[in-house]
Amino acid sequence: MSNQELKKKRQFLTAEDFDKHYFDEIARRANIMSCMQCGTCTASCESGRWTAFKTRSIVRKVVMGDLTALKDPDIWLCTTCYQCYERCPRDVRPTDVIIELRNYAVKLGNISDPHRKTIEFLKKFGHGVPINDAVKKQREELGLPQLPNTIYKDKVDGNDELDRFAEVLFNISKKPNNDPENKEHNSK
Amino acid sequence: MSENKSFAFFLGCIMPNRYPQIEKATRFIMQKLGWELKDMARASCCPAPGVFRSFDKHDWMVAAARNINIAEKMNTDILTVCNGCFGTLQEVNHHLKENDVSKEKVNQKLKEIGEYEYQGTINVRHIAEFLGFQIGPQEIQNYIVRKVNATAAIHYGCHFLKPSKTRNIQSPEKPTILEEYVEALGVKSLEFKNKHTCCGAGGGVKAAHPDASMTILAEKMSNIAEVKPDFILDVCPFCHLQFDSGQEFLNKNMGTNYDIPVIHISQLTAYCMGMDPKYLGFNYQTVGKKFFFTPSEEKQ
Repeated sequence: MSNQELKKKRQFLTAEDFDKHYFDEIARRANIMSCMQCGTCTASCESGRWTAFKTRSIVRKVVMGDLTALKDPDIWLCTTCYQCYERCPRDVRPTDVIIELRNYAVKLGNISDPHRKTIEFLKKFGHGVPINDAVKKQREELGLPQLPNTIYKDKVDGNDELDRFAEVLFNISKKPNNDPENKEHNSK
Repeated sequence: MSENKSFAFFLGCIMPNRYPQIEKATRFIMQKLGWELKDMARASCCPAPGVFRSFDKHDWMVAAARNINIAEKMNTDILTVCNGCFGTLQEVNHHLKENDVSKEKVNQKLKEIGEYEYQGTINVRHIAEFLGFQIGPQEIQNYIVRKVNATAAIHYGCHFLKPSKTRNIQSPEKPTILEEYVEALGVKSLEFKNKHTCCGAGGGVKAAHPDASMTILAEKMSNIAEVKPDFILDVCPFCHLQFDSGQEFLNKNMGTNYDIPVIHISQLTAYCMGMDPKYLGFNYQTVGKKFFFTPSEEKQ
């Protein structure tokens, strides 16, 4: 790590990392404020058992308005298994908090390349997981139509609804390329 | 709401585009049960709750409402076989039925795509809940021609039962719906460590952090392998993909030697209802290619 990068990676948070009202639009804000930091979420987290992901700390950051959460790649380690959501004694719904936090992060362009690719697939094929030749053959062998009757078939048949679908939905921010921290995040 | 026995069959992505044998099996069992599955022409990805909801919750709702509206126009409830599709469609349907402000915003954007307007007139169903509760372990006996002599590690996946406040099927802490159902088909369900944890695929983790996803699966697989089941039984093509392709990954990278077949509830049910085993498609899967069911109590 270069000196410049080290300098950027400050040891302590400063005032500019906080914005008390930044997350005000998160739905069920009142519930988030009632978090008592008991840690039931972290204790129930399957992903957190194996990674540095700490649900409790993420919720704390949102309560405090700590904006470093938006660049934190850890928020993408939640598998949305809802175990914390089920068990939270204050009904904070941490899974929803993480989802909304991710929405904010994406607005800033903080989204990984594989996820951008998934959006490309959706726009091009109408499916996050598009069909391939091997499966087309399997479908025929099983007596199913080679192409499932979905929006992708509609496109193959010469219609343009998928194009409108792609035009209207999931137009996310471009990659921020002047920020070394984001570049690092994006290359993950 | 549908008085006639029919469903709008929501295909999603992974079932038709990776595991068509699950689609085949589902069509077979619904026909045997006397239910019509209607095509949802122009349906898209649900869109997947882990990824697309994380990117833009509003657009995720719009795309889901579009799919729901396709079924509304057919005046039919939706049937899905996937926890992810169920997670998205059931949740958005539940939310929009109760939230007029969201509904209006969603409908505004829907107009830009085509002639769609979300109404809130239908329900979204999961095949496991349909088989396990609506048909049930007793009534299914009238439709099966054979049972299976085997042990299974049941994997519920996350979004079938959770969040339980929205799904309202059964408590996710100690559910019994799948155990009771498969035991009615002769299968013995095995208990194993941390049975109800996630497979590690969801939330966009499999795509963006495959290492973390595989670490979670490695623990899951070691707990499953410990009780030596004949197969893993799931109710979700995405969990199916994680277990099926994941075992090969673990074998190559973590020195394991797993070959435990992965079977969706539709595949098991179709076999018991007499579907020709050649349509089960185990040979298309990554592990357990040579597996075959051992029948017991075959009826003529």
